[in-house]
Amino acid sequence: MTRFVKDAGVRLALLLLPSGQVLAQFGFTRAMDVMSACALAAAIHASSAELGRMLDGKPFSGLHAGRVRQLFLAEAQTARGPYIFLTVFDADTSLGLVRMYCDELKVNLAAAAPPPAAIQEPVSDSTFEGELNKNLAVLFGRV
Amino acid sequence: MSTQFTAVLDALTRQRGVRASMVVDAADGIAIDWNLQFGQDGDRVAALAGSLYRKACQSALAAGLGSTGFMQLEADAGTLCLLGGETLVLVVVAERDANVGLIRMEMRRAAQAFA
Repeated sequence: MTRFVKDAGVRLALLLLPSGQVLAQFGFTRAMDVMSACALAAAIHASSAELGRMLDGKPFSGLHAGRVRQLFLAEAQTARGPYIFLTVFDADTSLGLVRMYCDELKVNLAAAAPPPAAIQEPVSDSTFEGELNKNLAVLFGRV
Repeated sequence: MSTQFTAVLDALTRQRGVRASMVVDAADGIAIDWNLQFGQDGDRVAALAGSLYRKACQSALAAGLGSTGFMQLEADAGTLCLLGGETLVLVVVAERDANVGLIRMEMRRAAQAFA
């Protein structure tokens, strides 16, 4: 994220979960602003995705708005699920540069995200006794 | 899909030593039309070349040199040529042994055709 902000020259940047929970931010001065921005970004992302499904059968992948101060919203897929990325920039940079560095950020996020949590199988009656005996044997040093 | 720039870009790319040509939106750095070889990343070139030209224009203005016309970036394996106006930038990627003078002349001709 730090590298993205430096390379792309943006004013504000937010990384959040689709639920609106913030993961990282740059450029905001107040926590309240971060929370509000995250909530709105999550809502915009959900609305635009649904609109895309209704119109085109698949969600819209990015959103851009503004002329002097511009906003760019994108989704980054990781093994843990999607992240939402929001950035605000002005004439010091350009949409092309922001999109280019955002693509790099998506790749880096996908590589850096932790693997999905292993799903534990439910314990059944037939395996419970065997598992218990195995663990007890390990505990008392019989294995 | 062809645009009003396709014929001009085709003519530019036919010049000896020209590897790619594109028309880029000056403000957004997004390619409007392009003529690339297989494997070239036009989006990256458009974004970076557009940004480079914009910064060059700002530098020229800050130095009191007025508006920027033709810009040439020499690299180890070739030359990047840019010619821009208020809304569009014409970008040509040329090999090292290309005749840059001829390319510049063709780019000016293309710019006049766009105008």
